[in-house]
Amino acid sequence: MKKHFALVLPLMLVLALVLAMQTSYAAETIKIGVLYPLTGGAAAEGRELRAGAELAAEIANTSIPEIKMDMAKRAGISSMGGAKIELIFKDHEGNPTLGADQAKKLIQDDKVIGILGCYHSAVTKTVSAVCEEMGIPMINDSSTSPALTNRGFKWFWRTTPHDITFTQDLFEFLKGITEGKAMGVPAIPKAQIKTLAAACEKTEWGSQVSQTIETLSKDYGFDLKKSILYAAKSPDLSSEVRSLKSARPDIMLFASYASDAILMMKTLKAEKAGPKMIWGQDAGFEAPEFRSTLGDDVIGILTRTVFAPQVGQVKDVSGQVNFLYRKNMGRDLSGASARAFTGVQTWVEVLEKAGSIAPAAIQKAANTIMIPGEQLIVPWKGIRFAATGSDQGQNELGSGMIGQYQKNKAGEIVVEIVYPFDVATAKLIYPLKGF
Amino acid sequence: MEILAGSISAGLLIGMVFALVALGLTIIFGVMDIVNFAHGEFLMLGMYTALLTAQATGVDPLLTIPFAGLVGFLLGVICYLGFVKYLIRGPMVAQLLGTFGLMLVLRNLALFLFGSEDRTIHEGLLVGQSFDMGMGIILPATKLAAAVLSVISFIAVWLLINRTRIGKALMATALNAQGARYMGIPTERMNAFAWGLGGATVTMAGALLVNFWSVTPYVGLLFTMIAFAIVALGGFGSIPGAFFAGLIVGLITELPGIWDFATEMTGFDWMASVPMTSFKYTWVYLAYFLIMLIRPRGLFGWKH
Repeated sequence: MKKHFALVLPLMLVLALVLAMQTSYAAETIKIGVLYPLTGGAAAEGRELRAGAELAAEIANTSIPEIKMDMAKRAGISSMGGAKIELIFKDHEGNPTLGADQAKKLIQDDKVIGILGCYHSAVTKTVSAVCEEMGIPMINDSSTSPALTNRGFKWFWRTTPHDITFTQDLFEFLKGITEGKAMGVPAIPKAQIKTLAAACEKTEWGSQVSQTIETLSKDYGFDLKKSILYAAKSPDLSSEVRSLKSARPDIMLFASYASDAILMMKTLKAEKAGPKMIWGQDAGFEAPEFRSTLGDDVIGILTRTVFAPQVGQVKDVSGQVNFLYRKNMGRDLSGASARAFTGVQTWVEVLEKAGSIAPAAIQKAANTIMIPGEQLIVPWKGIRFAATGSDQGQNELGSGMIGQYQKNKAGEIVVEIVYPFDVATAKLIYPLKGF
Repeated sequence: MEILAGSISAGLLIGMVFALVALGLTIIFGVMDIVNFAHGEFLMLGMYTALLTAQATGVDPLLTIPFAGLVGFLLGVICYLGFVKYLIRGPMVAQLLGTFGLMLVLRNLALFLFGSEDRTIHEGLLVGQSFDMGMGIILPATKLAAAVLSVISFIAVWLLINRTRIGKALMATALNAQGARYMGIPTERMNAFAWGLGGATVTMAGALLVNFWSVTPYVGLLFTMIAFAIVALGGFGSIPGAFFAGLIVGLITELPGIWDFATEMTGFDWMASVPMTSFKYTWVYLAYFLIMLIRPRGLFGWKH
């Protein structure tokens, strides 16, 4: 026993030394906790988000002067002596309770200075509540439930536009079609596209989208025949699809995550539903799995998005970052990865402006930051958060687009921009050719 | 009218699949009076077996059914000989908690082996095919195949139990295990056989289900609940009962469609805004509750 004890002391000494070295190393990095759904039904989007965030951190930490972006020209946070950004990823599986637990762990055990995430609005809701309680800044890159920014939170900022903006885009788009504004399609009488049916997943995000669709369809004079909520984890959606079909809508609207979006389209096909248009509220509709699984069946389907590789044709910086992403991942940036990238970029710029990791300094910097549109890979006018008011913490300069899956000349399925009409990259396919 | 016809046909079709899922549960209960909470997990393992075999070998998922059945049979026998055999010597509570524990073990084993991601079969002979029969009746090929297999399985199991020596031995064990033992029936082996048979039918159901239903390690619970409702409705231990109760439960899950039909007939706008689809399984559990309250032995029950 004594012999063992003699061994224990030096061992502990070595351990203490190693730990001491680690802390001195840690002072040079700034830890940000990132919460995404890395497993579970939305794992596909989780992988996209993670890759986007990692690429942004890589660009922030090394100097790549060719990219026309301030963050790329610097190496690390220059106002803090070139401190490097370290992203600590945790998986919340789309589960709000797990998300809140993981956030606490990140804050208390990993000592992160702030949080980024969480994709699912329901998870962002609980995680932001934890951050608010602990006075830890949180930037939300990819949750679009409008309710998240009308809670008056002082430690919560959202870069992405929310669903009221996006759904408004949809109705402006439909209105524009009836006025003949869509490229390649003559004005379509409103009577032909008047009836709608919507199916939204029933957590925070989908139910908010559902309400927004209900309100806006009235405002714009459309007839919402049927609006259903369903469980995203539901393994079978045939009764939902039949219920939608029974309303005989001209247009079907969806708010779905990845596995349910795929299941929904397959079931629509199996049940031989034939709407003239299908529109998805981003998320599952632009997950890479969506098009790789459904193949040619996606052609003609509309999805709201915040990014399409076609943006690179008009914005150099988008093209440059997309090139790097493509090199890493073998595919183009998506709305999810582009927004995760922008989330990390916003964190970097806020820290640069704050010059300190003190929460109060970060808060002040976030409330006054202005990132001009030319710095961003997404086609927004910039990033500036509302510091007060009913949409506190919301980026006021964001905007959305509507894309349509089409086949390009090379035979690849791509998302072409069809709205806003003035930046459309292809002719609108109407009506949907059916399954 | 089309809506109604579509819903009823879809309800009957899925009902036959549900019945096949419940068949194993009712066999095991009928023979041994033990409720297998891990039943849905057997199904989940059947789904994974079919999915992984099809993906690894490149054969059509339909052809993996015999293999899935074999895996299920072995799984049932192993569970019985290695675990349940000891449980049944204990009190009722031990049996309940024991199979509940088995459920947790199998589910977490699946989580460990396969991860929590949704997996779906995207390619196969029948995947994505459907037949339009007119009148709004659309029969997806995968569900039709599952329904056909369900009917065949029910007939086969019914014949096995009523027309063969081994079936008579099973029946004897079910009615009076001690008496059967005195007559020289190896009841221990009969019990193991019941578990094997129960396991095989449910994994085969899983292998069919995976053609149109995505699989995660958590999928079992939903089916355990549905199978319980079916077995309770049909009567614990009754094989024809399970079949007809399956059809009834299938129709109950289609209540939203019937509601849509009523909405169209009556033309009331408020009816369209009732979120029927959000509660489609609620009605199944409600039926389970009611049958327990009103007729605990079920529609065709013969035990107790």
